[in-house]
Amino acid sequence: MSTTVSVDHALASFREMMATDGYLLTWSEVGGDKVVVKIDASDGACEDCLVPLPVMTSIMAKALDPTGYELDHVELPGSH
Amino acid sequence: MTTSMREALLDPTGAAEGANDSTLSPRPVTLKGLTVGLLDNTKPNSTLLLDEIAADLKRDYGIGEIKHYVKDYFGTPVKDELFRQIVSEVDIVITAVGDCGSCSAATVADGILFERAGIPTVSITSDSFAMSGQAMADVQGFPGFQFVMVQHPVASLDVEHIRGRADQAVPDALRILGVTEIV
Repeated sequence: MSTTVSVDHALASFREMMATDGYLLTWSEVGGDKVVVKIDASDGACEDCLVPLPVMTSIMAKALDPTGYELDHVELPGSH
Repeated sequence: MTTSMREALLDPTGAAEGANDSTLSPRPVTLKGLTVGLLDNTKPNSTLLLDEIAADLKRDYGIGEIKHYVKDYFGTPVKDELFRQIVSEVDIVITAVGDCGSCSAATVADGILFERAGIPTVSITSDSFAMSGQAMADVQGFPGFQFVMVQHPVASLDVEHIRGRADQAVPDALRILGVTEIV
C-alpha cells in the first residue's frame, strides 16, 4: 500500500532518532485520514531522554505533512 | 525572566510574553576580550567538548575570561537563578551537549532563552537529534534559530575524538555568532 510506505518513509528518520534513546515508534491509521503515533520504551530505554510531548507532537505533525495524513495524537509510554 | 515565563517557553501555545520573539541578539563580530560562558548540561563529555571549543576560541579568536556553569538536569531548560546569573556575567554562551531527545530540545530551548535575553548563544546537539532541536525551536516560535550539530555519538568518545568534534563545531559556532575576525 503506497500510503503506508509513505508514512513509514516520513517517520523513518525520527524512528531512528527514537531508537537511539531506546524507544520504539509505531503508528496506526484512525478515521481514514489521521495517524496516531505510539512510542514504547524498550528494555534499557533512557527514561530521562524522551522528547517532551509538545516537541514530539510538533515533529510528528511536520513529518506527516507530505503524506496526506494528519497527526491525531502522540501516545507516550505510560499514557496508553 | 520569571520561572513561570521560562516554564511557559515549553508551552506550545506560545502564550507567554516574548514567546514568539525570533530576533537574534546583536552579533559580536569579534570575540576579542569577550567573556564566554560554557553551560554544561551534565551529559558525558559535555565539559570536555566545551573546554576544547573554548581553547580554540582563546587561541585563534582572543576570547577573554571563560566561565563554567553546570545545569542541574539535562532534560529541562536552565533554572531561573542560574539563567539570571549567566546573563549578568557573560557576553556569549556556548552550551552542550544535546545528544538525546530531551537534552537536545532543552539545549535549543536554553539557546533561545539566552538569545531573547540579549546574549548570543551557540547550542550544540548531535546530528542524530537535529529534529528534536529544530522541533523545540519551532515550538518556541523561533524556527530560524540556528544551532551546531556535531556527529553522533558524543558520550562514548575518547579525548582525541572529542577534539575532532570540537574542530567540527567551531566553524559553525563562529558562523552563528557572526564572527569573522581572527586575532
